[in-house]
Amino acid sequence: MHRTLFFCLLRFSALALLLGNSGFSRAETPQFFLDEYQQAAKSQNPGFKGFSVAAGERFYRNKHGGDWSCASCHTDNPAAIGKHVVTGKLIQPMSPSANPERFSDAAKVNKWFKRNCNDVLKRECTPEEKGNLLTYLITVK
Amino acid sequence: MMMNVMKSIGWMMGLAILSTESIAHAGDKHQYGPYPANYAEECGSCHVPYPPQRLTSAGWETQMRNLQQHYGSDASVDAATNRAILSYLVANASSKEKSAPAEPTARMTQTRWFIKEHGTKPPKGLAFSNCAGCHTQADKGDFSERTLKAPAGWRHGD
Repeated sequence: MHRTLFFCLLRFSALALLLGNSGFSRAETPQFFLDEYQQAAKSQNPGFKGFSVAAGERFYRNKHGGDWSCASCHTDNPAAIGKHVVTGKLIQPMSPSANPERFSDAAKVNKWFKRNCNDVLKRECTPEEKGNLLTYLITVK
Repeated sequence: MMMNVMKSIGWMMGLAILSTESIAHAGDKHQYGPYPANYAEECGSCHVPYPPQRLTSAGWETQMRNLQQHYGSDASVDAATNRAILSYLVANASSKEKSAPAEPTARMTQTRWFIKEHGTKPPKGLAFSNCAGCHTQADKGDFSERTLKAPAGWRHGD
């Protein structure tokens, strides 16, 4: 009986640790991602001069030859609540100034860049594109 | 160690409350929520989470296999998340023929059940994927008549 209880508790401690580690991981900041993209951009292109707000904004509004831009769902103003262009689902603001949850979790950021770059550009985004975009998003309050 | 044990007990109680709640709603056929957090997060960002009970397990298997090409969007999730969500969907799936896929991508809106309830033409300016356009509490899995607000003049089943 005691043995069973012990193993039961042991199993749930393991579960709690597991959940604890995934649920309350160290939060990243927008600057963490900027540093990562900058390092990657430099290693891909030795002539890289730094990120640009204007290039980020152009990237955000451009349809890149397809049907959708970032703005199609996240709206013209990334600090406002967005709306999915097909399903009408409301999307919380993209700008980290308006929504501190944005760019605070590496797993989420990587997942959404992969998905949304495929949707809009039909390919992955480059570190330079991600860095420009984030540099722009940070400026929108 | 003691803290971990306390934490574990907390988690167990949390899980127990969650499961009792799901059981409480299971009797009402218009109540499908609350959904597990991973399902609401992964399948409820671009559209409301759709009720698992309204598609057969074969349909959900098709959906979860094709997430990378999900009606014009990349909705892919990592392998472990995919398995976890699929097992939730299959465990709660419909076993009725009227909820079986009617075309290769297993659109819920093409099942016999859906067409009988909604017809084939959504209200003007809305897509059928936008449940919350009429089912105002759809994000919570509440599809009761009480929370239904279809646009004036829309004939259900047209």
